[in-house]
Amino acid sequence: MKKLLNYAYYPGCSLHASAGEYDLSTRELFKALKIGLTEVPDWFCCGATPAHNVDELLSLSLCAKNLELAEKVEGDLAVACAACFSRLKFTQHTLEENATKRKQVEKAIDAPVKLDGKVKHLLEILAGDLGLERLAASVNKPLAGLKVACYYGCLLTRPTDVPNLDCTEAPTIMERVIEAVGAETVAWSHRLECCGANFTLSRPGVVIQLTNAILDSAKAAGADCIMVGCPLCHGNLDIRQKEIEGVYKTNYNLPVFYLTQLVGLSVGLGSGKLGLDAMIVSPMPLLKEKGLL
Amino acid sequence: MSRIGVFICHCGENISRTVDVERVAAQVGNMPGVAFATDYKYMCSDPGQTLLKKTIQEQKLSHVVVAACSPRMHEKTFRKAVESAGLNPFLCEMANIREHCSWVHENREEATVKAIEIVGMMVERVKKNRVLPAITVPVTKRSLVIGGGIAGIQAALDIADCGHEVILVEREPSIGGHMAQLSETFPTLDCSQCIMTPKMVDVANHPKIKLYTFSEIELVEGYIGNFQVTIKKKARSVDEDTCTGCGVCMTKCPQKKIPNKFDQNIGMRTAIYVPFPQAVPNTPVIDRDNCTWFKSGKCGVCQKVCGPGAVDFEQQDRLIVEAVGAIVVATGFDLYTIDEKPKGSPIKGYGEFGHGKIPDVIDGMTFERLASASGPTGGRILRPSDGKEPKQIVFIQCIGSRAREKGISYCSKVCCMYTAKHTMLYHHKVHDGQAYVFFMDARTPGKSYDEFWRRSIEEEEAVYIRGMVSRLYQKGDKIVVMGSDIAVGVQVEIEADMVVLATAVMPQKGADTLAQKLGISYDKYHFYSEAHAKLRPVECATAGIYLAGACQGPKDIPETVSQASAAAAKVMTLFSKDKMEREPIVARVREAGCVGCFACKKVCAYGAVEEKEIRDRQGNLIKVVAYVNPGVCGGCGTCQATCPSKSVELDGYTDEQIVAMIEAL
Repeated sequence: MKKLLNYAYYPGCSLHASAGEYDLSTRELFKALKIGLTEVPDWFCCGATPAHNVDELLSLSLCAKNLELAEKVEGDLAVACAACFSRLKFTQHTLEENATKRKQVEKAIDAPVKLDGKVKHLLEILAGDLGLERLAASVNKPLAGLKVACYYGCLLTRPTDVPNLDCTEAPTIMERVIEAVGAETVAWSHRLECCGANFTLSRPGVVIQLTNAILDSAKAAGADCIMVGCPLCHGNLDIRQKEIEGVYKTNYNLPVFYLTQLVGLSVGLGSGKLGLDAMIVSPMPLLKEKGLL
Repeated sequence: MSRIGVFICHCGENISRTVDVERVAAQVGNMPGVAFATDYKYMCSDPGQTLLKKTIQEQKLSHVVVAACSPRMHEKTFRKAVESAGLNPFLCEMANIREHCSWVHENREEATVKAIEIVGMMVERVKKNRVLPAITVPVTKRSLVIGGGIAGIQAALDIADCGHEVILVEREPSIGGHMAQLSETFPTLDCSQCIMTPKMVDVANHPKIKLYTFSEIELVEGYIGNFQVTIKKKARSVDEDTCTGCGVCMTKCPQKKIPNKFDQNIGMRTAIYVPFPQAVPNTPVIDRDNCTWFKSGKCGVCQKVCGPGAVDFEQQDRLIVEAVGAIVVATGFDLYTIDEKPKGSPIKGYGEFGHGKIPDVIDGMTFERLASASGPTGGRILRPSDGKEPKQIVFIQCIGSRAREKGISYCSKVCCMYTAKHTMLYHHKVHDGQAYVFFMDARTPGKSYDEFWRRSIEEEEAVYIRGMVSRLYQKGDKIVVMGSDIAVGVQVEIEADMVVLATAVMPQKGADTLAQKLGISYDKYHFYSEAHAKLRPVECATAGIYLAGACQGPKDIPETVSQASAAAAKVMTLFSKDKMEREPIVARVREAGCVGCFACKKVCAYGAVEEKEIRDRQGNLIKVVAYVNPGVCGGCGTCQATCPSKSVELDGYTDEQIVAMIEAL
């Protein structure tokens, strides 16, 4: 019998705020899959986009300190948010390559930097550590007939050579995971395009345009819903969907799920444990139609 | 007592910037055995060499050390100068104080001390150098040319026209290579077939050229002037001497839907086929993987219809050994494909272009076949997916090339020009169509090249957009091209009917395996390495092997032809003498000490060690010892390091000399 999996868990700020359902569904899913998840004690913000735009040393130091905290928990570090994942991986990469920056960061956090701990996105844990076969074996309610458009956004696979999650330009990890639990996936053009990210606050017009192209492409490919692994992408696609439909005089009605919500459904978790009621575009009619609720 | 002369070169400032050359000369001048030491700005120049010759005579020097660059650079130069002054050339040695000292150090004091030590070591070594007589070896005046594209054809014709026999080996069933696939050629737009096929016929008819098509190099043995090459002639299943080339077999073959590689797999061929109508030789070959007879033992129609009875299903691969004196390697190039690449390959492919899964995204060579009058569409530009004429066509340059993140950092050199040509061919054939080109830079250095490129914009109405494409995707029957126009700073989206990718020029697949058989070196991309980038561009570091065409790096036709003729000239230089002189730095066996264990024979990479019987005057065998054939010995010294009884030594690198060098430190 293989040793049970256990991870340190870094939820990141979004999962304690606007993306509460991502946090909830992650914890519930891991519990159902019997994977240990221990929240890193005293974790704090990774700095996200603002920090590295303003001060590289600050951004690196915030992540390095979090990585140091994570060392205190047994197991690799599990990360749900694509931005946190990107920043933590970037920090590891930069400090490995650049001895000068490493020294500066060590001075700033007043601790030696250790880079041997592995940072893993939830997708890597499901597809790699747990494995697709074992994941498939945990399925109680296959997502048969559900056509999913897997949306990667920018940060999960880019830039080349940093996150090393999957192929930069033609990744398949999301499709592999969701197909393992019985769903169908659609081939579509915009799965790697940018949603506009945090320009949603400063330049909403741009974001509406970009997000519309994504929704349009998913709909045209015949998708019933979209699956994401990033709280910001989720916000733009889900919260702004009604507004976009108004601007472009169209009707998408595409529920936007976190990957943990869909996988959670397949292992038999109910709406309450997956936070489905928190979604702006309600998935209930779709899930009822497909017999999944 | 030796009278050694030491000459310290400044190499302009290359050495003197870091090494105090005057101090080196002064200090070395006091070493025992040194009769004369001086420094000079450029020892390799004419006045430098004159100084060397004059001093040898005036000072009655017995040995010479030139402290300058690497011996790989100028050892020959200085040994020649020494010889012309009346001294045996092998009494001259070089001390490398440039690559091994001044170029790699910054501290002048330390570099100077090191230079003195390097020179001191060479002084001790040269003292024990022997007078070596030149070794002469016979030259087989036949040459092997590997590859029957334009490079190999040109080299073969040039050598054969000088009266020397040429063995031309081509892997494919026909000669012609990539040039035979092209439609028109830049910068004059003359038809490639029209200028290529006559040369192919010349090759076939030349009395001095022996052509092996559908053949590969199996093994190469020997050395300059005396190579033995084993060629594998693959079974064609059609007897070349009997076949008349009538083509009835091909019209009757029931397998008609096999993608033809010559047409970039958009045209179809039969299982018994010639790759294209103008093929040389015009003898079909049976593709055994797709032939009904070879798959199921039934059919055999081609054999039944063949009048002369040339079809031979029983034919086997044959091995042929040929003796040649020189080898020209002209194996050409292959194109990058954007498909998903196997794990571990340095080449990454283009996921953002769908890894080659969008049918109307083609490469430049496929466009050539579409545009070619003898191509699968008879020269009409039609989409592979539905046969419609594309009205909006997008060309994207630098696919793979200059894209370090995709595994290649070099420029493929020909794509800017052929893309400009493609826009013209397109404009000539589709009058109401519009061509767009995404490019990084237009690189057009060549006679009449820039004018040609300007013409594609100014007269042929191609729209050039400076910027690259981030993604291609299929939308209905269109391909959406998302790119940037960096001149204006905006994002561009074009709905194209067809996209043509100028994919990178890469070496032929298997270039590394062939190089290993030949014993020549190659770079990380597997392009073959020339002996010197500037001064010996067509020679390999391995003597007697020459390079022509794109196997050495991306090249266009004029450049390939020039290089092929240059390689032929080098072969002719070698063939101009009946015997050639070899450097006599070879191993010698001390027969008295040799116990005949032949450990040396096992390690010799050149196969130079033979067994020699020693007999007394009555003819009784006393013992068997090792003998090093001086004509074959490569002078590597492995035998010397291996010999347990220290009975074999390499001239110029004896144990005694190496110990003397160490003691000088």
